[in-house]
Amino acid sequence: MAQQITLQEAVKLVPNMSTIFIGGFAHVRACMAFSREMIRQKKHDMYFVSSGPTVHVDLLAAGKVISKMEVAYSGIETIGPAPNVRRRIEEGDLEVEDYTNLTMTMRLYGGAIGVPFMPTKSMLGSDLEKKSLMKRLEEKMAVVECPFTGEAVGLVPSINPDVGVIQVQRVDTDGNVQIDDALASDVDGLKASDMKIVLAEEIVSTDVIRKDPKKTVVPGLMVDFIVEVPHGAWPTAMYNFYDYDQDHIEMYAEMCRTEEGWEKYKKEWVLPSEKEILKKLGEKRLKQLKARKTLGY
Amino acid sequence: MAKPKFTNQELMAICGARLVPDGAVVLAGTGLPVLACMLAQKLHAPHAKIVYEGGNIDTHNKELPLSVSDPRLMYKASAVADLRQSLGELLQGGYIDIGFLGGAQIDRYGNLNSTAIGNYKKPKVRLVGSGGANDIASLAMNTFIITKHEKRKFHKCDYITSPGHLKGGDSRLKAGLRGEGPQFIITDLCVMDFHPRSKRARVVSLHPGVTKKDVLKNMNWRPIMPRKIPETKAPTAKELRILRKEVDPKGEYLG
Repeated sequence: MAQQITLQEAVKLVPNMSTIFIGGFAHVRACMAFSREMIRQKKHDMYFVSSGPTVHVDLLAAGKVISKMEVAYSGIETIGPAPNVRRRIEEGDLEVEDYTNLTMTMRLYGGAIGVPFMPTKSMLGSDLEKKSLMKRLEEKMAVVECPFTGEAVGLVPSINPDVGVIQVQRVDTDGNVQIDDALASDVDGLKASDMKIVLAEEIVSTDVIRKDPKKTVVPGLMVDFIVEVPHGAWPTAMYNFYDYDQDHIEMYAEMCRTEEGWEKYKKEWVLPSEKEILKKLGEKRLKQLKARKTLGY
Repeated sequence: MAKPKFTNQELMAICGARLVPDGAVVLAGTGLPVLACMLAQKLHAPHAKIVYEGGNIDTHNKELPLSVSDPRLMYKASAVADLRQSLGELLQGGYIDIGFLGGAQIDRYGNLNSTAIGNYKKPKVRLVGSGGANDIASLAMNTFIITKHEKRKFHKCDYITSPGHLKGGDSRLKAGLRGEGPQFIITDLCVMDFHPRSKRARVVSLHPGVTKKDVLKNMNWRPIMPRKIPETKAPTAKELRILRKEVDPKGEYLG
């Protein structure tokens, strides 16, 4: 059965130098509060894996929490390259291995179902197949002849992160997880991880989940820790709870064009406690962002 | 009657829309591809279906999405899944007829770079990476490239993120890739297709008022230039009205 802990306790559980999957994809369900707490606790040298992470990977790169990553994407949609990721890579403080959204998802799924690799028809013939930055090329991907049909097929190694963290709409006291919108690769990423932490907007009674078990995307028996973190994905969106805060994301990207700007942002919007950050954001803004019942955003 | 005025962005979206056949299943990214697909649905392709890689399938959003897993894409979608289903089952499984792509660099075979400018190991500019672009380029039945026509973009790729026709001829097939690869490049100056055998880019229409010289001046490689190139059909009043009033009424992309 999952154990309920606080956000601070959850971050304390993650040793430096861990391989970590942190959920969130293109403007939704990014583990922002968790990532801010990683910076507050001065975590470092994490090895980050994900498919298409968003603002949180940029924050983690800025705060020098992560020093290596295997990802498909590191940008902020509608804005372009993630400003801090870009600067850290260009200055040599962050190493990256490039994959694709499908292949990172398959690598995590392979980890989840306990097989050493997964086949793919992606990446063939491109520089994703032919070039590697962190590993020997043969450790990144193998192209083999299918033993049954003879066609060329790519094999990518499965991943089992040490720790997996996702932020979702609701979890029950037994750790059963419900997600109300598109899953991206959050479920595969969590299931692939050895230690599983679920952050939720609300922790509900298990009766709520057991009334409609088809909606459970991760059974509680797989989950180790649950944490109640309201607004934990802000400034990204949580369908049925709040919309993304595009103004804030744009302000963040603008400030983070320089190291000085990032330091200023960190002081104002990362180092204070979550409670202080929400207070600073203000009741009025939170109300504007609150999801409409009919639309969910 | 005076010809309606339009912007380059609008013309690109309209050119994209015209190329989406009715009934096509399209994997769209945000920006111009979304506008092109939604416009096609409202014009000649009411049965076209749009899939987003985050997992929203057959969407009927009321407002334009800013991201490929935008909460706006939940509205009246037929199904909501994950990346394994959108990119694994639908894309790799062979259901996607058209994927839209763009990039920072594009070469004469429609290969695209969205990863790094300069030396990959020590990049001058680090870009966003593949995301789902390599998957779409590798696996969709056809891809359409939509991009601004700039000299620095129409440049040999420093890194091939998304495979087009690779080195031309049958090199794409030999690499084991699926689909027919890129079919069109839609820019703000012209539309190109690819020569059936060499797979080199070839200009098929010039936008109103654009000359061959304008096209060549804005690129680092030379496309095939047939002797006679027709003019791209100018946007009709109906196309512009629906694009402005129904697809992007708030001017979020076109404003």
